[in-house]
Amino acid sequence: MTGKWSFSRRDVLRTSAAAGAGVALGGMLPAWRARAAAELNMWWWGEQELPGLQAFVDDSVKKYTAATVKPMLQDTAVVISQFQTAAASGEAPDIQFLWNGIYHMESVWLGYLQPLNGLVSDAVIQASNPTLLSNFGGNTYRVGWYPLPMIWVYNKDAFDKAGLDGDKAPQTWDEFLAACEKLKSAGIAPVGGGIQDGYWGEWYFGHALAQNVDSAGETIGLFTGERDFREPKYHEHWVKLEELRKAGFFNSEMLSTELYPGIDLIVAGKVGMGLSVGSRVPADSKASNGRVGTMVMPVYGKGKLAGQPIFDSQGLGIAAKAKDPKGAAAFLEYLQSPDRLKAVHESTGWIPANKNFDVSVLTDATVKDMWQRWGLSPNIPYLSNLVPGQFYEQALLPTAQQVVEGKITGEQAGELAYNVAKEWRDFNPDIVENYKKWAVDLGG
Amino acid sequence: MNQTSRFAPYLYVAPLVALLLFVFGYPLVRIFEFSFKMVRGIDGPWIGLRNYELVLNQPLFWESVRHNLLLLLAVPFMVAWSLLIAVVLYERLKGWKLYRVVLFLPYILAIPIIAVIMKKLFQFNGPVNEVLRWIGLDFLALDWIGSSDVALWTVMLLIIWRESALGIILFLARMLSLDESLMEAAKLEGANWWQRVWHVIVPQMRVVMEFYIVTSVITILSAVFAYVYMIGGGRGGPGTSTMVVELYIFNALIRTSLPGIAAAVSVMLFLVSLLLIVPLFAARRRANEEETA
Repeated sequence: MTGKWSFSRRDVLRTSAAAGAGVALGGMLPAWRARAAAELNMWWWGEQELPGLQAFVDDSVKKYTAATVKPMLQDTAVVISQFQTAAASGEAPDIQFLWNGIYHMESVWLGYLQPLNGLVSDAVIQASNPTLLSNFGGNTYRVGWYPLPMIWVYNKDAFDKAGLDGDKAPQTWDEFLAACEKLKSAGIAPVGGGIQDGYWGEWYFGHALAQNVDSAGETIGLFTGERDFREPKYHEHWVKLEELRKAGFFNSEMLSTELYPGIDLIVAGKVGMGLSVGSRVPADSKASNGRVGTMVMPVYGKGKLAGQPIFDSQGLGIAAKAKDPKGAAAFLEYLQSPDRLKAVHESTGWIPANKNFDVSVLTDATVKDMWQRWGLSPNIPYLSNLVPGQFYEQALLPTAQQVVEGKITGEQAGELAYNVAKEWRDFNPDIVENYKKWAVDLGG
Repeated sequence: MNQTSRFAPYLYVAPLVALLLFVFGYPLVRIFEFSFKMVRGIDGPWIGLRNYELVLNQPLFWESVRHNLLLLLAVPFMVAWSLLIAVVLYERLKGWKLYRVVLFLPYILAIPIIAVIMKKLFQFNGPVNEVLRWIGLDFLALDWIGSSDVALWTVMLLIIWRESALGIILFLARMLSLDESLMEAAKLEGANWWQRVWHVIVPQMRVVMEFYIVTSVITILSAVFAYVYMIGGGRGGPGTSTMVVELYIFNALIRTSLPGIAAAVSVMLFLVSLLLIVPLFAARRRANEEETA
């Protein structure tokens, strides 16, 4: 036993040599640290809605030489909770995928994200189309990655069949109702899609509430209690929905059909008009031989946001405790380089959110036109991204379903929304204050 | 018994107890703790009973509870149906072993698979309604998953169909272990089929039926998430017509960032389930005592 722990002179020399080597290695520590810091973790999402994005990420990581980037595709259900839990325990990735609006703003308020201004160049941030909803306290927390123009679509063949002009979408509510009448007379369900999973109600809210508000900040007042859903102009969108139901303009299977199969009905010409999202247009245009047109929701409201194209984008941000924020910012800038923008298109068939993307590679006239109108022209943010989660689940989705079903009126929907907004304030007194501050950034 | 032998059994089970405490006990304690906090991220300030107060004053919570209670109506149907089919199989019809496998199949299949197929079948313009319209039963062609008046019953139908499979197998297994001479004796005494079932088989099935009823009640109170998630479009819809307590918890935790609220409802659900497990154990103890006597 004692022999095992006794030291000979040779052992002492060995130990000294090892210690010396240790000191020498210590001298090299900054260099080692620099190499270690050049490893970035990136948690991302998007393959689920944009097939091909995985290939783009893999290719980008492979070609990036300034750091080793370790990407991890997240499950849809845990994108936010996984990041927040990791951030709370100091284990957040350097780069995190971020949905727009409240879906990343809560992480900002919890102190889990850091502002990108100062890290990523302003020119890159602006060109990436992060949208207004990425701003809080004068800072921007996301760069845009790929866009989601929020659109209405119509089937040109169905329009032709109904004696309408397939190249001219209705722009006003009166024109829209007239088109609905003609489509109905021609035996085509004028408007609708699928609302069974509820998302149609979210999209509709984003399009229609915008008609009666002057800014995104005004919308926030509906949740913080400064404005009231019971006021007619703030629930007129649900009243319009009620009118469409009463007129028999919705497709009969709307309540039992999910969102995307519902859009398929428009592409197939079984439904005349409805809601969609820009990322579907390349495939839908191809499937219909270019007979699907895009349009802004026909105007009935008097708000400043009425009749304007709605633009949303998915984005990326940097965790507050990222081990290497500058390295992360450099990688984000790399993803916005012309070569990478082109690669997004090549991998996914969709386009990147960046305004500098070279549109000459787009061959489909409908896609090109849509990108020009929604991505590159003046646009407004998607108001549904301002909605608190509790309101989303308990008012936004159920009310539209109930109105379409005829269970409640538009006015009752406003009452329900008011009550749920009030409940939300009771459940989340701490977040209400942050919402009020956010409204300042959003022109409230 | 000396000192060592007295503690020896406890030492043998200690590792397992420690493991169970770690796997189940720790999360349970944390859930109880969270239910008294306004959790943001992974922790938050202590707010006493505020979460419980908010939940108990919320109409949506009570609507969820009401839906769970309505789904309990499925239990008598499940028991009766399972018993009927098990008795029929017990008669050893030709091919009864094949029928047994077919009837148990739904229980092996994952709920999402069954629900997705059922959703396709029960769409407003789907195959079920097309057939009903074709045979002139238009009045039965309901909007099975799109109507808030009907959707919960569609969920119940799916639950009865799938969960009965377990009942059938449990009941049949018990019947196959019964003393057949009793049945023969009853036959010789002139008892008809119904009398044999009611007076000979059912009394001997009491324990397994009690077990099935209690587990079914627990299932419906705390394990129907997958059914309503799939049929209700993932949201408890249309409207809130298929919202149940489990989905309420899921939404609070995952979708509305309210872990404290989710914890408070979980605690209440846990306590209710616990109350139901007590009679189950009591029934089993009674059965054991009867068998011993």
